[in-house]
This record gives sequence, C-alpha cells and structure tokens, in this order.
Amino acid sequence: MTGQMSKFAAFGRMVSQLPSPRGLLPIVLVLVAWQLLQTGNSPYFPPPSAWWRGMVQIAAGGKLLTASIATIETIVVGLAISIVAGVVIGVLIGISPRTGRALGPLLEFFRAMPPPAIVPLAILFLGYDERMKLTIVAISAMWPILLNTSSAILQIHPILLDVSTSLRLSVLERIRLIVIPSVVPAILLGIRIALPLTIVLTLLVEILTSIEGIGALMIAAQRNFQSGQVYGLLVLVGLFGFVLNNGFSIAQSAILRRWPPRNVQA
Amino acid sequence: MASRRTLANINFSGISVFVLILAAWEASVRLGAITFEFFPAPSAIFAGAVELARDGILLQDLLHTLLSIAIGWTIATIVGVSVGLLLGFSPLARRYGLASIEVLRPIPGIAFAPLGLLLFGFSLQTELVVTVLPTVWPVMINTMGGVANVQPRLTDVGRTFRLNSYEVVRYLLLPAAMPSIVVGARISLSLALVMAIVAEIVGNPEGLGYGIVREQQALHPEFMFAYIAVVGLLGLILNAGVLALTTSLWPSTAPRPVA
Amino acid sequence: MSAPVFECRSASVVLSLSAGPRPIISDINLELRHAEFLSIVGPSGTGKTTLLRMLGGLMRPTSGEVLVKGRVLTGPPEDVVIVFQDYANALLQWRTVASNVAFGIERKLPRKECADRVNDALSLVGLLSRADDYPWQLSGGMQQRVQIARALALRPAVMLMDEPFASLDAMTKAGLQDELLRVRDRTRTSFVFITHDIEEAVYLGDRVAVLNGSPGRIEDIVTIDLPAPRDQIMTRQLPQFLSYRYGLHKAIGYG
Repeated sequence: MTGQMSKFAAFGRMVSQLPSPRGLLPIVLVLVAWQLLQTGNSPYFPPPSAWWRGMVQIAAGGKLLTASIATIETIVVGLAISIVAGVVIGVLIGISPRTGRALGPLLEFFRAMPPPAIVPLAILFLGYDERMKLTIVAISAMWPILLNTSSAILQIHPILLDVSTSLRLSVLERIRLIVIPSVVPAILLGIRIALPLTIVLTLLVEILTSIEGIGALMIAAQRNFQSGQVYGLLVLVGLFGFVLNNGFSIAQSAILRRWPPRNVQA
Repeated sequence: MASRRTLANINFSGISVFVLILAAWEASVRLGAITFEFFPAPSAIFAGAVELARDGILLQDLLHTLLSIAIGWTIATIVGVSVGLLLGFSPLARRYGLASIEVLRPIPGIAFAPLGLLLFGFSLQTELVVTVLPTVWPVMINTMGGVANVQPRLTDVGRTFRLNSYEVVRYLLLPAAMPSIVVGARISLSLALVMAIVAEIVGNPEGLGYGIVREQQALHPEFMFAYIAVVGLLGLILNAGVLALTTSLWPSTAPRPVA
Repeated sequence: MSAPVFECRSASVVLSLSAGPRPIISDINLELRHAEFLSIVGPSGTGKTTLLRMLGGLMRPTSGEVLVKGRVLTGPPEDVVIVFQDYANALLQWRTVASNVAFGIERKLPRKECADRVNDALSLVGLLSRADDYPWQLSGGMQQRVQIARALALRPAVMLMDEPFASLDAMTKAGLQDELLRVRDRTRTSFVFITHDIEEAVYLGDRVAVLNGSPGRIEDIVTIDLPAPRDQIMTRQLPQFLSYRYGLHKAIGYG
C-alpha cells in the first residue's frame, strides 16, 4: 500500500490545511492603523477609505465591470486553449521518445524564455488588439502544461504498457484508457503553474498597451495620479488571484481524490 | 571508455533539429518565402547582437538587469528566510500570520508596477518593488516548511544540550532546513529574472527588458530579437549555473524525478 | 489425453544489443495441458521474465515458435493472460477494484454479462466486499488478488504468472497459493507459474520445469506426484516433497 509518507508529504499536509482566521490579524491591524493615521490627503499613501471611493468612481462609469470581464475572459479562454494545446502536443511528444529527444533542446529553450520577454514581439507582429493578447497568453501558458504532460507520459510505468499490449488494446484505446488517466495529475500540476502565468501576462499586456482590462485601468489610474484607484485595483487583482488560485486548488483536490496520494515536492 | 560514453550522451538528434530549424528560418527569409515586415533572419539577429555588444549598450543593459536581480533576490532571500524561520519555529506566529500570507501571496507582482510607478516614478526602486514582492514567497514558504519538518524534535535536542534560542536556530534549525531553503531560493532566482524583465518593460526604462521594448517601438526587429535571445540565454545560464552550484554544495537538493 | 493447450517448440530469444547479439533463452520446448499447473523455477538472470513475455506474445521468438491451441503466436493471444509481479503498476490506480477487473472485458461484452463476470471473479478471489474501493487503499496481497481477478474475468485458457507472490510476506503468500489452486480447480484454467522459490514451485505444480544456464535452457522437467488437494502443513512435510525439493536444489545449484 502506498503507506509511506515522506516528510515532504507532511509538509504538504501542513500547508494545505486551512490556516486559522486569526492569521488575518496583521492585515486588519495594518489597514486600521493606515486608515486612522492618514488623515491628510496624501497622494502616495491614501487611506483605505480613499481606495473604496476610487473604486466606486470607476464602477459608476460602468468601466469596472467591462474591464473585469475583459480580463477574466482572456484568462479563462487563454487557459482553456493552452490546456488543449499543451495536452495534445505533450501527449504526441511523450508517446514518441525519439521525438522527445529530437525536440528536447528546442523545448528547453522555450521553457527558459521568460514569457514577458515575448510580449513586445507579439505586439510587433500581431498589433495592439484583443487577439494578440489572447495569443500571447495562450502560447505562454501552454509550456508548463506541455512539459508536464510529456514528462509524465515518459514516466508511465512500462508494466502498465505491457498490460495494455497483453490485452491487445488499440492505439486509441491505449491513449484514452491508460495514457491520459495516468497523466491527469501531472496535467493538473501544469495548469496550477500556468494559471498565475496567465494572470500575470494578461495584466502585463493590458498595462503595456492599455488594451481593455483591469491592467489598463491600473495604468490609467497611475497616469492620472488617482492613487486611491491604484490601491483599490491592486486589492481587486489580489482578490481575483486569491479566488482563481484557491478555486483551482479545490477543484484539483476534488479531481485527484481517486488517485493515490502523492509525495509533495518542495 | 569515458569518451565513448559522453559521445553517446550528446543529443545529436536534438542539436540537429535545432540547427535545421535555424537554417530553414535563414533560408526562407533570404529566399523571400517569409516576408513578414518585421521578421529578420537569424544572421541579421546575430549581426544586430554583435553591433549592440560593440556599442556597449548590450553590456550596460545586461549589467543593469543583473544588478536588479541581484539586489532584489538578496532582499527577498533575507526577508523570506527571516520570516520563514520565525513562522517555522513558532506555531503562534503561524496562527497569527499564515492567513495573511495566504491572502497576500496570490497578488501577482505585475500588479505592483502601477503602484511602484506612482510612488517612485521610472526608477530602480519601482523595479525592485516589482521584483522583490513576488519573490519573497517561495523562499519564505520553503524555509517555513523546512523548519516545520524538523520541529519540535530539533528544539528538544537543543534543549537537551542547553542551547539558547539563537544557538538552536543557528546550529540546528538552519542547517536542517537548508535543503528546503536552497530549493526555495532557486525558484526565487528564476522568478526574480522574470519579474525584473517585467518591471523593465513597464516600469523602469533601463535594462534588457527595456531594450526589448525600445527596439520594438523603434521598429528594429533584429535588435529586439537579439535582446530576447540574450534574455533567454541569461535565463538558461542563470538557472543552470545556480542549479550546478547548489547541487554541488547540497547534493540532496538535486531535482528528483517526480514520483 | 487431449492436445496441448500451449506449446513451445525450440523457441529461442536473441537480443541485438550494441555490444553484439546476446542469446537470452535457447531451444525452449514446453507443453501445457488443459487445467495443468506448470511451475518454472530458475535462478535470477536465466531469462525467466523473457520466457514469460515470449509465451505471452509480448516478444517474438527469434527462432522456433509458440503455439496456443495449435495456432502459432504472432502477438498477444486471446486465450492467454499475464499476471505481473508488480501489481501496483499493473493495476489502474485511478479506477475502482470492480472497474479494474472489468478492464479486459468491458469493451467486448454487454454490460450485464460484464458485471456478472466481474462479480464471479471477485468472489473467486474473495474481494467482492472491496469492489468499490481503489487499489491504493488495499494491501499488497489484495492488489495482487485484484490482478488475478482481472485475469480470471477474461476466462483465459492459460494464465501466465511472473513471480506474482515474490513481493508479499510469507503468510499472505501461503494464503494466495492455496487460493490459486482452488481457482484452478474451479475454473480448469492452465497455469504457467514462474518463481525462484523451489518450495512454492513444488507445492503448486503438477510439473516443475528447471530453467538454468546462460542462455537459459530447460534442463529438466519433473512430474510432481503429490496428493491433492495440497495442504500447506501436511504436503510440505511429506518425504516425497522433501526429495523433490532436494533434487531441484541440486539441479539449480543452490546447494
């Protein structure tokens, strides 16, 4: 039985358990102190009440909703495309070790390339529009999923492949019934990495190009010295990130309930 | 024979695919098969890189980015290890601190760029804000985990030997947690590179990231590609170098095959 | 007596390695009859696993042939199922026990018949109560029984077993040995059972073949004339058992 739990598994258990709500005390204290101490109209450190006022201002114009939708849309659609592309290409590469070896250096090169560095390239080739934003997000987020998928396929135990040969499974059956279920945990791990990446890239493109989205609002607020809005939008982005990341975490645990518990890696 | 074995280990197919693609790229641009307005041939990119290097701009930008990474990563490591030690050591600190960390952690570093610009304008400080804030987390979490793994056993050992708290941390906890800390620091370093580039693209007109944007806006694709290639190479060298260094000092931190 | 269910005629396997061709097993001649239990013993490195893979159609013999029910093998045959030693990796850990047992037949039979066979197989190995659990929730011995059940669901003519109990503790092993014999009696399946444990080979087998040497050859085939049903305590005390054991030890060169 998979009864051995290494100390990393214990670490994983510890981190994944819900932290005590009392842990929010530092943040609450800072916000309260900030609010009380900043009575003047400091342009650099406005109190939380000013953040709220700033956000209401943007929301009144209806721009907050449209920007949020634009950003979330890019993140969700971009992630979806990257998942499909990453899994399909990852499976194709993983199935043929020779292809994997041949493409190895190329993949390593793309993996080491920080996606933000490619953003100006995308702007140059694809222009300043929604399609460019989606393209760069999807292509960059594809890599962690692709790499995780292909390496997981290479690690499918040979005995399992023997079983599928012995039971005379067709190639499609083998992929559907054995290969894909075997790599689901790795795919989810890849998505886990890709998700924050899509958020960062979406915001980056929006900040750089002012294409519609939260990032565009942020940079506009900064240019207009609306410091309350800058802080408020920061909190909003934090909220997005929190909900998306933790939401995915919960979904991941739910899906992986039927898989044997893994040792968590640092 | 050692030479025969290393010969067999060289990935011939991999290298030849790489070279083939570069050659095909070069050929198709020269022969006019690809005529995107801004799509230079590899030879043009290489020539551009040489020109940039000769003018000294490339080196200047490279050094700026490296400096930014170095400072940012050092600050992040110091803060991350300190807070991580505290959290790992003290369940009380965890109870009153973890939830806050879980709330702050998901904030993407890029979101701090407008704030940094607001406070510091186009300057190194803005770049550091964007670089330090996200890179603190991997070090902190890993330090905390590394310490929590050996607690309270090791503190008990310390008490048996009548060590005070400082000595326990310095001689027991820190060395025991070192492998975890090292892994966290490695992750932080590659993250610092990415965030520095991000900061230079939007916040601070200096360094390799700015180089990419500058050449893009000036419509000099060969220079832009050259900068991108340098960034990619920097990432490879930095990661490989740090991996080699840390693995030789702490062999237990070598990457393990997954399950 | 009827024709052999399983036959191996002068089969050899030679691997082409970078250092040159390497014969693994040579000139294997075997015959297996209906409901017969053939044990194959040999020390490590004699090609036991290669032999099993060849018999199971996972590997083509370099010369000679393998026949199942008179037909020459060109790939994994319908009537033969392999049970691997590494049960954890041979089962689909993300499927329930029942779903695992159904794996071989689910695409070939209508649902009702499939479900019936799964229940029969699980009853035969005594795991009907764990049908909805996942393999990783079961002990090693239980997981191996699930693999056996999966093989049984296919109603094969021959079951090939590659040291299936080698990584289990002695008590679990003994229980599974008896269970296997009961299954054979109930289903009249033929077995080829590979092991390095001489006592296990004698206890289970109607005949024991000795695979030895490099390349591995069948040096001897001993008919085991012990009373049935076998009993862990009584059978293993019989003087005949001990003399078979002694003879095989000498033949392999353990002594």
